Amino acid sequence: MSVREIATEVGQKLEAASGLNATLHWSAGDLRHQAEVVEAMGRSALGGMPVAVKDNIATLGTPTTCGSRILEGYESPFEATVIRRLREAGALIAAKTNLDEFAMGSSTEHSAFGRVLHPIDPARVPGGSSGGSAALVAAGVVPAALGSETGGSVRQPASFCGVVGVKPSYGAVSRYGLVAFGSSLDCVSVFGRTVDDAARVLHTISGHDPLDATSLDRPPVAMPMGRKNFSGLTIGLPEEYFPSDLDSGVRAATDRAVAAIRDLGGKVVPVSLPHSRFAVPTYYIIAPAEASANLARYDGVRYGPSRPDTAVDLRGLYRQTRGRGFGPEVRRRILTGTYVLSSGYYDAYYGKAQRMRSAIAADFQGVFAGGVDLLFTPTTPSTAFKAGEKTDDPVAMYLADIFVCAVNLAGLPGVSVAIGRSEGLPVGGQFIAPYLEDTLMLEAAGVLERNLPATEEVR
Amino acid sequence: MTLDRNAVQRIAELAEIAVTEEELPTLAAQLDRIVDYVAQLEGYDGGDELPGFLPGPSQTPLRPDVVNPVPLTRGPATLAPAWRQGYFVVPRVAGMDDPA
Amino acid sequence: MSWETVVGLEVHVQLATRSKMFCGCAAIFGEEPNTNVCPVCLGLPGALPVPNAEAVRLGVRAALALGCTIHGTSIFSRKNYFYPDLPKGYQISQFDRPLATGGQLRIVSPERGEMAVGITRLHLEEDAGKLLHDRFPGMTAVDLNRAGIPLAEIVSEPDMRSPAEARAYLTAMKQVLLYAGISDCSMEQGSLRVDANVSVRRVGETELGTKTEIKNLNSFANVERALEAERDRQIQVLESGGRVTQVTMLYDAAVGQARPMRSKEASHDYRYFPEPDLPPLVLAPVWVEQERAALPELPDAKRVRLGQSYGLSDYDTGVLSSEVALADYFELVVGAGADPKTAANWVMSEVMTGYNETGVFAVQPGRLAALIRLVADGTVSLQAAKKVYLELQGEDDPRVVAKRLGLIQVRDPGALEAWVDEVIAACPAEVTRFRGGEEKLLGFLVGQVMKRSQGKADPKGVQPVLLRRLRG
Repeated sequence: MSVREIATEVGQKLEAASGLNATLHWSAGDLRHQAEVVEAMGRSALGGMPVAVKDNIATLGTPTTCGSRILEGYESPFEATVIRRLREAGALIAAKTNLDEFAMGSSTEHSAFGRVLHPIDPARVPGGSSGGSAALVAAGVVPAALGSETGGSVRQPASFCGVVGVKPSYGAVSRYGLVAFGSSLDCVSVFGRTVDDAARVLHTISGHDPLDATSLDRPPVAMPMGRKNFSGLTIGLPEEYFPSDLDSGVRAATDRAVAAIRDLGGKVVPVSLPHSRFAVPTYYIIAPAEASANLARYDGVRYGPSRPDTAVDLRGLYRQTRGRGFGPEVRRRILTGTYVLSSGYYDAYYGKAQRMRSAIAADFQGVFAGGVDLLFTPTTPSTAFKAGEKTDDPVAMYLADIFVCAVNLAGLPGVSVAIGRSEGLPVGGQFIAPYLEDTLMLEAAGVLERNLPATEEVR
Repeated sequence: MTLDRNAVQRIAELAEIAVTEEELPTLAAQLDRIVDYVAQLEGYDGGDELPGFLPGPSQTPLRPDVVNPVPLTRGPATLAPAWRQGYFVVPRVAGMDDPA
Repeated sequence: MSWETVVGLEVHVQLATRSKMFCGCAAIFGEEPNTNVCPVCLGLPGALPVPNAEAVRLGVRAALALGCTIHGTSIFSRKNYFYPDLPKGYQISQFDRPLATGGQLRIVSPERGEMAVGITRLHLEEDAGKLLHDRFPGMTAVDLNRAGIPLAEIVSEPDMRSPAEARAYLTAMKQVLLYAGISDCSMEQGSLRVDANVSVRRVGETELGTKTEIKNLNSFANVERALEAERDRQIQVLESGGRVTQVTMLYDAAVGQARPMRSKEASHDYRYFPEPDLPPLVLAPVWVEQERAALPELPDAKRVRLGQSYGLSDYDTGVLSSEVALADYFELVVGAGADPKTAANWVMSEVMTGYNETGVFAVQPGRLAALIRLVADGTVSLQAAKKVYLELQGEDDPRVVAKRLGLIQVRDPGALEAWVDEVIAACPAEVTRFRGGEEKLLGFLVGQVMKRSQGKADPKGVQPVLLRRLRG
């Protein structure tokens, strides 16, 4: 297919999938224009591969709203490094996708522009915060999409939607142009229909960026070479991720996956990550704290849809802009973050959480130093839940991240692959690798992908 | 109750977010729930000797001192909600005068 | 009842870099508003900071010049508050792990003489934008050209005991920082800003009184005045039984008074936490030592060396070292062959009169040295030389200029004898009296010869000729 044909087809698929509410901005005209540019390049690494992009990554020519009213209509005057690299490699930026507002949420129900529907069961959520990107890949609209992770926001929806979700090592991919939520946690991450699709995109966007001081001075993540099996690898199963009350469908799928790992020559050992139970509360101190500062710039002065010349006074400008512009979840996180950083509370909350983070990271380092190459766990404690099921109690939603957010706290790479279906809904399993072992992790994911029927009912 | 409505009011002022009277009770209850949840960490004794952990490079790179700004495709005037003669404008800050 | 004043000063100095602290925008002034801006200093969604190497180097230099301990690892922190000149809603600064701590600045206190003021810390941070409150009615205008310019914040110990001492501290601080070449240090242009903290207590008390902070000071003189006024106000409050409340005040130069900011604005909970976008700032010890070795000679050291090498008084060395350029000029003049004391006098008078801190001098040091030699060997008188100085330009040879101006002293014996004879003939009474024993009249007669020669006679040559003729 020519690139123009690819562009036309993607446009048709986007149109057909519009009921999912997975996209916030795309246009057939823009796709055509991009196709012309890519064709003029001649040969390119990605050859017109259409990639959808979460709407918290700055792109030129389309708005970047972060799913929020406070950035409604905002068109960034600069482009993220990852987008520039994709374009230079001949990718088509297919659409900006819907997300939980400012990437805060685990269901994409907190977008100011409506929730995203699960491609298999529209009454359910696709997960979040990168739900739009996950849904488009799951629906076959695009082979790959960019999302972002702060506390599992790509692996969790990947698990719910039955696609591949890759979170790289912190610092492997530039954050320049990713709208900041929790700076020490944020990672541009990748969805793929297959591990290979995701790996190609990850390879293209990763590598040192002088515009990001937290970006590692390393070359791009190497492509996996198509490893055949798990022989020579020791896979650890952290007991804290296999609680006795784990959903039976998830357990059945992970049991089957673990059996497959063994059959394919992997040595499977039980391990322990003792501080696991503190991961979610630690995350919900650190991420909101950093967010409260990262979102302070949305004050209605320099961009956004406020009207400073009609506000009564400066305080009024700030408080109305932010009071009206932020949705309830974002507001809760900012206030939580402000509280835990405030005078008198810093040591008890933020200070303690940073130390706990060290302990959590040390848990992983200890296990990997003890001869374990990779960890394998369920990605989520359940399959996709119903819309509205968890929105009454803010903490209930947090617990959806229970198996993913420790990885973000430790800065480690993680990948979720589909390992079966339970009552028709996808189940995900994740590999967690040591810091900077992204390619090894992708190798393992590839082996499982090639040997495990992902859409097979496990019960 | 760790967080009562007064505390929430104060935090909202620090964060410059308007909270209406109607919203306050629910918001206070939700924040209280959240803070109670994360306060689990208080039960953790150890680790005082551990430093804070941040992944990524162990030291910051430094930029050479050259003038090479990332170019904007459009000037700030096109982004500004309110703009006059080259300036962003906001309601006048109370009690301030320009330096002589 | 005797009161003691306690003063501490915070100085913010803009570092002389080409680009801003965390982005590649130009760090220059006088441009159209909001033209030196980019995603980073505009605080656009997705932008990230990367620190300027030269700003770090200049900060380290300043800290070394102030005798501080440099911390090999320091951490940037976010200082969170909302204000229209602060694009991100936080300032990237340093809080609990600053670049440097524990230095001192030697000053000359008008009351206590030579003394040292402690420097608590020096840290790096970024400047905020500029606000104009009177440009548009009812609005405040925001210009972000200045947002992100590198600053060093220098905090003193509360060691000063008078407003005059505070002023002396600022003068010495500016001199050291200029010597170290890290900033223009101009309060008028805003590259040096001062916040002052002042409290009072009864003499003998060890506890510090409640302090107030004064901001918006725009000259060293106003710092002194503002501190005097605030000290007096606090004493009055305490003497009438009241208590000093901790407030931040803004100095209004027009009325010469500081007035309190609304206390709600003044009290901030900055919620400092380590900047997650910036890993630690790590400095190699070898590099710090190189910077230390590369420090130029600082004012104190220069004063001592000038005094010792050239045998000059404290007053002379103080004046000469007030600026590096002056001291360098002086040394070049001496190096070109002039007598040090004479050269010092010339630099402190003629040279300084025409000099205005630009580093550019009207007369090249070699030319001045040549002129000084002409005086020393009697070719021109000192008076004449001052006239020649004013006429010297570029490569001019002083002797040639003197000749052109007709200022070469006459030493030809014949000419001198002629003038002497004229005077002897014209002043018979004085001649008789001199020959009669009134030796004092020699001065008068020499003066007469000078008059007759219209100042051109070399006075040193006149005297022996006159004496010969008089004693005849």
